[in-house]
Amino acid sequence: MTAVQPQTDLITLTIDGFEVTVPKGTLVIRAAEQLGIQIPRFCDHPLLSPVGACRQCLVDIEINGRAFPKPQASCTIPVENGMVVKTQLTSEVAHKAQEGVMEFLLVNHPLDCPVCDKGGECPLQNQAMTSGRGESRFEGKKRTFEKPINISSQVLLDRERCILCARCTRFSKEIAGDPFIDMGERGALQQVAIYEKDPFDSYFSGNTVQICPVGALTGSAYRFRSRPFDLVSTPSVCEHCASGCSLRTDVRRNKTLRRLAGNDPEVNEEWNCDKGRWAFQYTMVKDRIATPLIRENGVLREASWPEAIAVAANGLQGKKAGVLVGGRATVEDSYAYAKFARATLGTNDIDFRSRPHSDEERDFLAAHVVGSKVRYSDIDTADHVVLVGFEPEEESPIVFLRIRKQVRKRALSVTAISPWQTRGFKKLQAKYIGVAPGAEGNALAQLSLTNQSVIVVGERLCESAGGLSAVAELARKSGAKIAWVPRRAGERGALEAGAIGNLLPGGRPISDAAARVDVAAAWSIESDSIPTSAGSDSKAIFAAAARGEIKALVIGGVDPFDMHAPDFAGLESAFVLSLELRPSAITERADVVLPVAAVTEKSGSFMSWEGRTRSFEQAVPETPHQSDLYILSLIAEALGKPLGFSTVRGAAKEFGTLANWDGARASFTSHPVANAAQGVTLASWRQLLDNGSLQVNEPNLAGTARKAVARINAQLAAKLGVANGDLVTISTDHGALSLNVELSDLVDDVVWLPRNAVASQSLRMLGVLNGAQVNIRKGL
Amino acid sequence: MASAPKTFDENFLSRLDAIIARYPRSRSAIMPMLHLVQAREGYVTAEGIEVIAQKLDLTTAEVNAVASFYTQYRRTPAGEYHVGVCTNTLCAIMGGDAIFSGLKDHLGIENNERTADGKVSLEHIECNAACDYAPVVMVNWEFFDNQTVESAKTLVDDLRAGKKPAPTRGPNSVPTFKEASEVLAGFNDGRANEGIQAGDPTLLGLKIAKGERK
Repeated sequence: MTAVQPQTDLITLTIDGFEVTVPKGTLVIRAAEQLGIQIPRFCDHPLLSPVGACRQCLVDIEINGRAFPKPQASCTIPVENGMVVKTQLTSEVAHKAQEGVMEFLLVNHPLDCPVCDKGGECPLQNQAMTSGRGESRFEGKKRTFEKPINISSQVLLDRERCILCARCTRFSKEIAGDPFIDMGERGALQQVAIYEKDPFDSYFSGNTVQICPVGALTGSAYRFRSRPFDLVSTPSVCEHCASGCSLRTDVRRNKTLRRLAGNDPEVNEEWNCDKGRWAFQYTMVKDRIATPLIRENGVLREASWPEAIAVAANGLQGKKAGVLVGGRATVEDSYAYAKFARATLGTNDIDFRSRPHSDEERDFLAAHVVGSKVRYSDIDTADHVVLVGFEPEEESPIVFLRIRKQVRKRALSVTAISPWQTRGFKKLQAKYIGVAPGAEGNALAQLSLTNQSVIVVGERLCESAGGLSAVAELARKSGAKIAWVPRRAGERGALEAGAIGNLLPGGRPISDAAARVDVAAAWSIESDSIPTSAGSDSKAIFAAAARGEIKALVIGGVDPFDMHAPDFAGLESAFVLSLELRPSAITERADVVLPVAAVTEKSGSFMSWEGRTRSFEQAVPETPHQSDLYILSLIAEALGKPLGFSTVRGAAKEFGTLANWDGARASFTSHPVANAAQGVTLASWRQLLDNGSLQVNEPNLAGTARKAVARINAQLAAKLGVANGDLVTISTDHGALSLNVELSDLVDDVVWLPRNAVASQSLRMLGVLNGAQVNIRKGL
Repeated sequence: MASAPKTFDENFLSRLDAIIARYPRSRSAIMPMLHLVQAREGYVTAEGIEVIAQKLDLTTAEVNAVASFYTQYRRTPAGEYHVGVCTNTLCAIMGGDAIFSGLKDHLGIENNERTADGKVSLEHIECNAACDYAPVVMVNWEFFDNQTVESAKTLVDDLRAGKKPAPTRGPNSVPTFKEASEVLAGFNDGRANEGIQAGDPTLLGLKIAKGERK
């Protein structure tokens, strides 16, 4: 990017006697904001196209001495040179017009503010006070409707409160691309409506609740829970995916009651997805681990912190150990794990990838991802976006919204390399290149891009051998940028923090002696105490434990069933220390279980897929829980090799000194694209709303999840003799699962399954990855 | 989204396609397509909305929004003869209100209801641009001018009896609701030139302008 701003035509106009100069095309209402003049409004929203539906923003306008005959909606009129605008502040006509509109809006609006969720934070309530008459002159009957109606399992509509501003319908159509709601019954009974059989099952539906300027749309989970003025709000960051959304967490009496999208124009603008908004009960579930637990005679028993720390330290003392971090740790926690592994346990056997992974991926991350600074703004300026191993709407919804915005705004060309042409790809008007899973690399090799292009790579491309190599090669050839988008919020931060076997913090290659010296100096340890060879990955760590080579495991927030064919044998023989929120397959086998703080209970930061640091403060004021890093610092202390910090701030400060490595990056050796498997192959990924462990206890949210189906195309259906809705069984040597068929736009001889739906956990039930051969048959 | 409805035959589906083919942007076809659904079903059915949504790549909510806006689209079965009585100001004063209440009593149905035999449905309608023939009654959007309570009762009796009375202006006999809907969908029934095209009051101004009348 050059520093020169593009030349923009500027327009000078007068508003309430003040001159203001703004870019051409600016709306009068926005120009007034520049002067600090607030014109009341409902339908106007800076991220939606102007509509002029509510008429609340009427102002008097004259251009070059010629006045409009009547007040105009300032939210639809662009500025012009010589324009003289008089708002309610200087024009009696505008003031009276606004009062009149307000009176009309209130004709049908019930006076139920005392029981309405919006009361206290309601634009209508507020502006009725500032711009309305004190008393109503309306004596007739107000419109009434049956209330509320569920337009989805998580959004409720009270139609009599609606002022028909069309913010929700415009959002759904323009931003989300899910026009499942529209204005029906236009006329006296006009109302927001779904089609009866098709509910408002959009992944972004929660935004309509947030931008509704009255209490017409409310969230099922929050309805009647609190008054806005009883909430304490804390700016937060979403922990659900790597999009990096800014959020606001609203807490009442130590309980999180709701989360809203924060306003960050560089990242999520003002939007977020429904998972980020409505999945937070997991911190308040009954089976949350409350105290340290120690296994005694095969059974876990409660223990005091000093006892548990001593047992943990004793279990780890002098043993060859491995560390598994999971993908959800904050940057500071990951850094603590990374340092704990090297400085305390003396091992490089650490990995944050508790999901399918490969050596090719590890080398790719070290060479092409760590330290990179590809941004959302690169999507804004891209000439071409390629999606590979990645379904943005399912796997990083704000990336999806940003690409879609550019598609709408300037017809950005998008190419999707995938075995299934999903609805999300269609909404991006993507050029779909259908490939069998595993063959993505071949399709990538055919593309020609420029240095303005962005290749967006999902984490699951590592399941296709040679796929990431093809990405690297395409980027080298064309100069295109690589955006690696993992699913989990902590992965990028963990990578930067060195929670992986081949990298030290800041992306320093473990094989680089200067890098080791650097880190050892910062940690005040002997430089030869950091092992020189790359450590094992998650799967190899489990396997080494099973073979008895690794005798102790430190595991934070890992579900082994997220991995491909995990080997549990090691968990029985090795000493296992588990840092967890809730009981899991690991805690069941752990020797010591230590409860940790959830995201809302601590401060810290995540690193978005961009590598952007997203810091947040503790939202829940009182909690018995401590962050992972504090607990690790206690154990390190007990082991006589202290971490040197015990607070988030301390860890962040120390990591800050190591964060930027200006030495050479690790080199990357290309892997060939593997030969395709014979027969029917599996394609599978996670959908946004599924069986994920952070989505427990959210029945309303779960109600809008996609139905679990097996997707095949007509060719394969004909071969199997099945029709839409028929039951099929997919099996491997490992196991089987049965689902109903939905005919979809897939490549031949591929079956797509949800990876983590209740009825379809392809990793756990079938034990195979994308591209593997599976058996499929009609019926059970 | 709803799965594809299967109740429609190939001929009907191809006629929907023919409508779509008329327009540079497919969604422009939504209104004639809704008329064609009425021509087949007698009103806009759920299946009709779903097939249009599917054909035009719109959501069912969007199609429903259009279908619920225009009063010409009926969401309950219309009678074979849909009788509209204009009750806007001029017609109302000239007798429209009396005709409407007279027909309600005579047929024993309320506004937007249908007689038990399915022959006649009744609706009060807005201005049909025939103030010079007030009060007017429309049968499937054909004009019956200068009506009285009695003439209107006779009209609906004739309709129920299966007689096909001729509109004051327009075709030689009144079409059924489905036939009229088909014309509105843009399928010509070849009857555009039948009957009186423009009545005397319509042409009066023109004639005066041309000096044919004083």
